[in-house]
Amino acid sequence: MKPFIRRTPALMMLAASIGLVDIARADDLAVAQKLATNHCAVCHTFDKGGPPGQGPNLFGLIGRKAASETNFTYSDGYSKAMTGKVWDEQMLDAWLTDVQAVAPGSAMVYSQDDPAKRQKIITYIKSLH
Amino acid sequence: MNEEKQKLELSRRNFMKASAAGTAVAALSGVAGRAMASDELPFDREHDIVVVGGGGSGLPTALFSRWLGNDVVILEKAGSPGGTAAKAAFWYWVPNNKPMRDAGMVDNKDDYMRYVARLTRPQSYDAASPKLGLSDWEYEMCEAIYESASPAAELLAERDALPYRHCPDVPDYWSELPEDKAKKGRVLVPKEARPSMSDGGRVAIRTLTAAAKRDGVQIRTGERVVKVIINSKGEAAGVEVETEEGTRERVKARKAVIFATGGFTHDPELRRNFLNAPVYGGCAALTNEGDFIRISSDLGVQLRNMNYAWSCPILLEKALAKDGSMSGIFTMNGDSMLMVNKYGKRIVNEKTVYNEMVPTFFQWDGDRAEYPNLVMFSIWDQQAQDNCSSDEYGSPIVPKGGNDRHVVRGETLEELATNIAARLDKHASDIGGLKLSADFNLNLKATLKRFNELAKKGKDLDFHRGELAIQGVFTGPVKSNRTGNLTMYPLAAKGPYYAALITGGNLDTKGGPKTNSVGQVLNNANAPIPGLYGVGNCVASASGRAYWAGGSTLGPIIAFAYRAANQAHKEAARS
Repeated sequence: MKPFIRRTPALMMLAASIGLVDIARADDLAVAQKLATNHCAVCHTFDKGGPPGQGPNLFGLIGRKAASETNFTYSDGYSKAMTGKVWDEQMLDAWLTDVQAVAPGSAMVYSQDDPAKRQKIITYIKSLH
Repeated sequence: MNEEKQKLELSRRNFMKASAAGTAVAALSGVAGRAMASDELPFDREHDIVVVGGGGSGLPTALFSRWLGNDVVILEKAGSPGGTAAKAAFWYWVPNNKPMRDAGMVDNKDDYMRYVARLTRPQSYDAASPKLGLSDWEYEMCEAIYESASPAAELLAERDALPYRHCPDVPDYWSELPEDKAKKGRVLVPKEARPSMSDGGRVAIRTLTAAAKRDGVQIRTGERVVKVIINSKGEAAGVEVETEEGTRERVKARKAVIFATGGFTHDPELRRNFLNAPVYGGCAALTNEGDFIRISSDLGVQLRNMNYAWSCPILLEKALAKDGSMSGIFTMNGDSMLMVNKYGKRIVNEKTVYNEMVPTFFQWDGDRAEYPNLVMFSIWDQQAQDNCSSDEYGSPIVPKGGNDRHVVRGETLEELATNIAARLDKHASDIGGLKLSADFNLNLKATLKRFNELAKKGKDLDFHRGELAIQGVFTGPVKSNRTGNLTMYPLAAKGPYYAALITGGNLDTKGGPKTNSVGQVLNNANAPIPGLYGVGNCVASASGRAYWAGGSTLGPIIAFAYRAANQAHKEAARS
């Protein structure tokens, strides 16, 4: 992207800056995807209609009712804590901070202290629509 | 290229990458001046004690270290702490534990030592010899478990890091042996585990992690240690870290680096060259790739017990898919269930304790030049499907609606065999083209007839199924009104029938650098490498082939975590 800007100085900065924002977003998303894959893909699939692994498919998670996937058997601990809730960013952040604190006895064991890493994972999961 | 070959390539590449980075650091120090040792390069961060790995070994090690007043960090390669322990039942075997003592259950050290020696080195066991047939090192390590597992468990419980529940009725795996004087009561589980004791790992990781955060242990995830930094005095002064975001950092340890990184279950190259069996992997965390074996190869360590693993049968297809959520098969559920090899023959007691079942898969037939049992088939009927299913302990018979992609179905035995054959063909390149024999159907019918006759009598004259106490513990549910030998029941004359493809695998490996009984990694002269420690499956276990009882992985681990933390605390802090 730098050579492009150098070669075309006459391009309006406005247009260039919009392009840069898009590119920056794409870069962020790539990092977010890498992190989400490292952290989640051992047990979850991300693609639309993908099969459940140890955990349910995560496509369209934000806005979905918790414990609502029909092709997945949720643990008692999860169902007890989560049934009736709807996934939003805030809930996902608490979930990633320490799953077992939100839903003791859930089959998932995961905790992440670093808010920046949690945010990246949330960014990627939000993009799955 | 099949998956194993790809993984081999990958692990070589990673290793080369790590080595190249090491060279870069060496080159840089060359530029800065020849005499400059690598510890004189700047560090990005520093702590008293750096614990590498945040699973069942690392978390207790970090807590014990922290409670002595040290500044402690955990560097975990995965996205989250937990490791293999997170999906384990997390029984921990604690000889002469406090609840036993309080209840007046006697567990003398001499008796305990005879039991572990008898199983660890059966070929040299001698009750009259001073070390019972164990090497000096094995004897000292086994003694350490007896001395320290209980104080470690008590301290973890007192600090609310791992409250436990005593299991007074759970027997050792060989409670029938005359050497086992304390036959029951050595097992503890996390207090809030289910009554079935299957989910202790997620409870333990939750409580241990919460305590670590509460007490100020820093947990950093996505950070892979690739090198130990040795200073000019030969001391372990810190580590080099590769982060998941692609940066490289140097972390200083003022007192000690303690490795707790797990074994090499998921490194095909190390498996191939150290394990004496063609194991496909296992239920260790996918991050257990033998990091400490590779890292320590620069340091003149002594590798010990590399040929053995904590073993369990596994579902072939989950292992080949590298399913990170896979459990070992700890209960071969089902009464109207039997297991046959490619010849349709029953060759083992299906209820044999998991670790002991595994060598059967790897028997070598020297006349045919093949592993006839490399993949075996558990076969069950509708009765077992209806009454014996479970989603615990890795049961191959799962409840309706659960993940049953590993299950093969057939309306008749012939159809079942056809479908098993199709699955084998699908995996042909991974299993050396193993196929059912031409007489499989014929033999299977004879096997079933014989099994049903024995099951009706309730006595397995061929393989003694259900005769040891522990086999009754690990058999899974059966129809509620059953009596007699609950581990056996005749298979129905009519289908449908079900099957699963089973092979031998690891919970994790049990070999690595030799440590002394306070966790110090020893060099070739048997002297500690200053500041370098190891705990858990990344270092050598003194148990030989033995799996003494449920929890004989984690019980010793907390004992050595406790001992290593206490020793590391005494190291003089480097400013």
